[in-house]
Amino acid sequence: MAVSAASSERGLAVVTGAAGVLGTRIAARLAEDCHDLLLVDLDPAVSDTAEKIAAASGRSALACVADLTSAQGADAVARAASEGGGGVVVLVNNAGITRDGRIGDLEEADFAAVVEVNLTSAMRLTLALEDLLADGSAVINMSSRASLGNFGQANYVASKSGLVGLTRALALRWAPRVRVNAVAPSLIDTPMAHSMPERVLEKLVSRIPAGRIGLPDEVASIVAFLASPEASYITGQAIVACGGRSIAA
Amino acid sequence: MGETLVIRQPRLGEYYERVTQVLTDAFSQMRGAVLDGRAVVVVLDDRDLLGQGTVADAALATGLLGLVRAFALEGARPGWRVNALTHRGEEGDVEDHLDQLAGSALTGQLLRVGTEHLGRVWP
Repeated sequence: MAVSAASSERGLAVVTGAAGVLGTRIAARLAEDCHDLLLVDLDPAVSDTAEKIAAASGRSALACVADLTSAQGADAVARAASEGGGGVVVLVNNAGITRDGRIGDLEEADFAAVVEVNLTSAMRLTLALEDLLADGSAVINMSSRASLGNFGQANYVASKSGLVGLTRALALRWAPRVRVNAVAPSLIDTPMAHSMPERVLEKLVSRIPAGRIGLPDEVASIVAFLASPEASYITGQAIVACGGRSIAA
Repeated sequence: MGETLVIRQPRLGEYYERVTQVLTDAFSQMRGAVLDGRAVVVVLDDRDLLGQGTVADAALATGLLGLVRAFALEGARPGWRVNALTHRGEEGDVEDHLDQLAGSALTGQLLRVGTEHLGRVWP
């Protein structure tokens, strides 16, 4: 059953991985763009995030602590999203983890965990929300420049590349009712980037034509654009936000 | 050098829950092959790379392509040979190209058989 977007100014936006730095910035930006929010994370700290964004923006921001690797978790998000009765206008699949390791050393369990969280869980939630997605709604999947290939991250590369396929298939399946796109950032100033040794990070940044690491707000701006009517003719695409890294030597 | 490992993308249909296990199995097989000095060719349905099939098949096809790229990048120094080959339904058309790719020194390549991919995005 399709529902129409009318319950709030620009409707409900669901953001996963919302307790993290990038998820928080994406959520805050969508609130600035007059979306009410349902913020999802495995980390209970997502409740504090929701409170802060609600206080700062004046929008409704609810938290849902859920494990999206299970059907029960996805169903819990769907129930929470349906409570307002207005449907979902924006879904941002941002939840993700890393378990880096060279191919020769990577544990199978770590490979599977990353694919399950980053890719399969995004499919599970998106399909669970299918009937709640309003006409004209937008789904944005957080892929990565690493989807083009990266060293020491075979699991992450496979998961983020898979998200691009997911994006294309859903875009075709749901057109013209729902637009589905992906954002593929490179190094962004988050704890994930700073988890690598400082000298490695410096070396990677030196290869970025833009000359610096990307900012969470810059990624949030792309998400906000793809979520907005300004992007009404864009679907099935992956926007690479990498400061030029993907074309550099 | 032993026999080339050929991984053919299985059809998942609507069973997206299988994506994690199938990708994990492919990773393990590919790792075993390259560490034994064997070449790897992953055969994919080109339509799935563009999302023209089910969600699960698209996620799997592009996930496998990501694996090919990750292995080729990390294996450049030790000389691993890992490539991908696509078809559009008639898999028999790719056999000659598969043998050529398996026997070459190339790595990290995506060979798309046919012309129907032209005018569309490069996956």
